[in-house]
Amino acid sequence: MSQSEQQQTRQCVSCGINIAGMSAASFKCPECGQQIYRCAKCRKQSNLYECPDCGFMGP
Amino acid sequence: MSENDNEALETAEEELDTEPTGEAGADPDVDPDIDAEDDLPAEGAEEADAGDEETQTEDPAEGDDQPMLDEDVMPDEEADLLIPVEDYLGAGVHIGTQQKTKDMERFIHRVRDDGLYVLDVSQTDTRIRTAADFLSNYDPEQVLVTSSRQYGRFPAKKFADAIGARARTGRFIPGTLTNPKYKGYIEPDVVVVTDPIGDSQAVKEAITVGIPVIAMCDSNNQTSNVDLVIPTNNKGRRALSVVYWLLANETLDRRGADTVYALDDFEEGI
Repeated sequence: MSQSEQQQTRQCVSCGINIAGMSAASFKCPECGQQIYRCAKCRKQSNLYECPDCGFMGP
Repeated sequence: MSENDNEALETAEEELDTEPTGEAGADPDVDPDIDAEDDLPAEGAEEADAGDEETQTEDPAEGDDQPMLDEDVMPDEEADLLIPVEDYLGAGVHIGTQQKTKDMERFIHRVRDDGLYVLDVSQTDTRIRTAADFLSNYDPEQVLVTSSRQYGRFPAKKFADAIGARARTGRFIPGTLTNPKYKGYIEPDVVVVTDPIGDSQAVKEAITVGIPVIAMCDSNNQTSNVDLVIPTNNKGRRALSVVYWLLANETLDRRGADTVYALDDFEEGI
């Protein structure tokens, strides 16, 4: 996978923005294990996220 | 001595005689004032007792007489929980605060007459399982548990021991996650905090290094920078013991470990 492709996949699950920087978090969905990315802004604002695979709603 | 003087003396004596009679009138059985005074402390004591039961810093299960447990603590009465609902209620896991935040609204079941918010116990139970699933994705040594809150220190340490994680209780030294020159510097992959307010330094550093945060949140907490919320009373001693105990057993269960801890292991002897 090229670097640009990899960057495209690193999108915030809440707002869809491309993720850059250290403050963003990435973790596996607690329900299904799908990789989830949250950008710094959505984390700070406590925006709800939904797993695209299983529909788990967080935080 | 004149007649007038004699009359005056008699009057004075009568007055002197009547005064003790007045005192005698202050019999507790008769005097309504005294009755009222007797009643007041009794009523006050009742109110104080009720307050103790309802104040979340007190443990509702403590004491000789069994307190009345809330019955309406979740929408689905038939929900399949990890432990009987009475055990959750006995530890006061469901008791929130008199303040609520928008973030925690979806975990609140109802508000009591005294203004305390009641957390949905079924959601607490579900989130404990979810958090255990989440933690089982990580190497045990890469999990950091923090608790600056006094009542959370022992259960947090015990939890860390049980699952093989690292614990930082008491003051969270700034730089623990961010300053490589600090002796106690560590690089965990996930942080579990007992209270996002008390453990704000740990949350702050977790943001800086970009690792997920699991937090035990009460009804008055904001879930800013938290990636997984466990809604619970995070101020009660027994509530924290129960939640950490369940989380430890569930995490070990996900890993296929045989060890099962008892609740007593997570309760600090006083």
